[in-house]
Amino acid sequence: MSLDPRLRAALLDRLTAMADDELILGHRDSEWTGHAPILEEDIALANIAQDEIGHALLWLEARRQLDGSDPDVLAYSRPAGAWRNARLLELPRGDWAFTMLRQYLFDVYEAELLTRLKRSSHVPLAEGATKAALEEVFHLRHSSLWLRRLALGTDESRRRLEAALARAWPYLPQLWQPLAGDAELAGAGIVPDLAEVGDAAGGRIATALKELDLQTPDTPPNPGGRERHTEELVTLLIDMQSVTRADPAAESW
Amino acid sequence: MSAAAPDGQWPRWEVFKQDAAGKPHQAVGSVHATDPEHALLMARSVFARRPAAVSLWVAPAGAVVAVTAEQLAAGDVPGGAPAGDGTGAAEARYLVFRKSSHRRAMTFVDHVGEVTAASAAAALAAARAAFPEPPALAWWLVPAASVTASPDAEAEAWFAPARGKTYKQQSEYAQLPQRRRKARTP
Amino acid sequence: MALDRDVADEPARLEDFEARIARGEKIEPGDWMPADYRRQLVRMISQHAHSEVVGMLPEGAWITRAPSLRRKLVLLAKVQDEGGHGQYLYHAAETLGVTREELLEALLQGRAKYSSVFNYPTLSWADVGMIGWLVDGAAIRNQLMLAQCSYGPYSRAMVRICAEETFHHEQGKQMIVAYASGTASQRAMAQDALERWWWPSLMMLGPHDSDSPNTPQLARWGIKTKTNDQVRQEFVDEHVPELQQAGLSIPDPELRFDAESGHWTHGPIDWDEFWRVVKGNGPLNAERLAARRKAHHDGRWVREAMAAYAAGPRGVG
Repeated sequence: MSLDPRLRAALLDRLTAMADDELILGHRDSEWTGHAPILEEDIALANIAQDEIGHALLWLEARRQLDGSDPDVLAYSRPAGAWRNARLLELPRGDWAFTMLRQYLFDVYEAELLTRLKRSSHVPLAEGATKAALEEVFHLRHSSLWLRRLALGTDESRRRLEAALARAWPYLPQLWQPLAGDAELAGAGIVPDLAEVGDAAGGRIATALKELDLQTPDTPPNPGGRERHTEELVTLLIDMQSVTRADPAAESW
Repeated sequence: MSAAAPDGQWPRWEVFKQDAAGKPHQAVGSVHATDPEHALLMARSVFARRPAAVSLWVAPAGAVVAVTAEQLAAGDVPGGAPAGDGTGAAEARYLVFRKSSHRRAMTFVDHVGEVTAASAAAALAAARAAFPEPPALAWWLVPAASVTASPDAEAEAWFAPARGKTYKQQSEYAQLPQRRRKARTP
Repeated sequence: MALDRDVADEPARLEDFEARIARGEKIEPGDWMPADYRRQLVRMISQHAHSEVVGMLPEGAWITRAPSLRRKLVLLAKVQDEGGHGQYLYHAAETLGVTREELLEALLQGRAKYSSVFNYPTLSWADVGMIGWLVDGAAIRNQLMLAQCSYGPYSRAMVRICAEETFHHEQGKQMIVAYASGTASQRAMAQDALERWWWPSLMMLGPHDSDSPNTPQLARWGIKTKTNDQVRQEFVDEHVPELQQAGLSIPDPELRFDAESGHWTHGPIDWDEFWRVVKGNGPLNAERLAARRKAHHDGRWVREAMAAYAAGPRGVG
């Protein structure tokens, strides 16, 4: 598995981005535990959150194989500026409509990404993608169900879903915006063409929204790469890293 | 179920779980949901977050005809109303579940087969004739048309991931001391 | 469900019923039962269910702060289980003729009781471990007993819960044992957690037998086969040596081992505190209920949307 230094650096960036997406989303999902609208959904979303964090661990372990980095060190000592998740995922959980809509958008993107990533020439990526894709089947069923129910439920649920869509839409394209090294990784068969992933995901989302008579918002993409974040990430990390930062000498928790 | 119903009065759905191919579906509990698809997703979240499962069935709680041995002995049996599956057919398929042991367990009745009958009462009689042994302590008859099953084609996606979540499985943790072993079902 | 059959508690039926229980038979929904048996079970099961869902809150607050990815997964799974256990128990209560919605309404209006132990705050990460070790440890003792309960649905819920609860207890113990021999900060955190959770855990096992009027009848009906004090003694005998072995100091100056009986005897429990907390004046009673009310209130539009969809989808697309 010896990669040339540029490919290796590009792959580290790609794995970090994917891991950060999963971890931040899983973290936001986990905030609902104990507060969901109904007991069964509380249990369901807690499972989805565990799946996402599990996926983050898959990618962080793949990264560890390349550069020896410790997943917990990466999660608990990086400041906001060093994270590489897409901004859509760090936005606060909002109401149930926002959480379900954001989950749906990410689930569609993930489905398109992972199905192609299963064919990666980098074995840990291919294996991780196969495992994650299996869990994503259920996620997409669940979030698709909610998209439909909220769109076709009551006036209020529809209004909230439309508000969620307006909030999320500018952040959507960043999910599949390629990183600097992605073109070279694609050339080596390690990752798929992100633009193609974006077309497929975007197309599926557009079709689903049309079917439900939901308007695609007219807002331009929120600009900036994955090194740019909102202030929400700062608050998130202050909480997430509070226990470890209070006792830097602790070697294990 | 109308939108005018009091907040939170979602119907109940009885859940049946099949642990492995070749084993019967067993009643494990119920979930609150508003439609069969949602009920299945919730059933998977509640009852299959740990291994083992290969299939789930859900049926509206109201569709289940339940009778205990004591009720049968007292003559307290369901009436002879026409087949309650809503299809208007003269006869309907009923799935038969029964319990035959007082042994401590985490599941209630087991699926043993099916009968065809024109009413719940006729179905019960047919079931008692078709599945007499061992003596039943409780019967459930569920119109087959009221049952929704998890998609077999997606069984791996629905049920395999739970196996990998070892961090929440008993086997991952320290050996249990002898005294606690008594709590396990025989 | 033949609810009106048990209005007249005929002595002969009662005798048959008690004979069934003595034979080790399970009473199932639809079977004859004394009105008081049904009432006691609804009370016990619903209190138990409410305890589980309220219990999601003290630990749930720390999910976002779990200091390692594995701990994050474990705590998420544990709190999820608590929700799941509440779910199984509400189901068991529903077999007795009440609805989950009625029970939740009673809880949110402050009319229902739940385990007082969850009215205490979690002030540090180590509290999560201590709750797992002590609170779940106490709960397991109760649950093992209740798994033998004569009422089928309650017994089955308890068997399922017992199978899942052991992991809760073990992960809590592992955490505290590790912190008790970790950095000075971790050791102090673990000791502080013990000082705040020891007595609430003892109280969780209920009032002294002399103040527990229901127990004899519950025993005869196979609902409760051990008294509160018996279970409490088992809990103390199990946990004291383990806590001491971990290097922690139990906050009870009168705690001593009685070589003659082979049991640990403990100091007096502050029952004034217990009753205050049970009656709603504990540290966080108001906050816990407020959190549950808010979640329920905020979720109303979601539940209505689902019900509306089920009633007939809007004809678009």
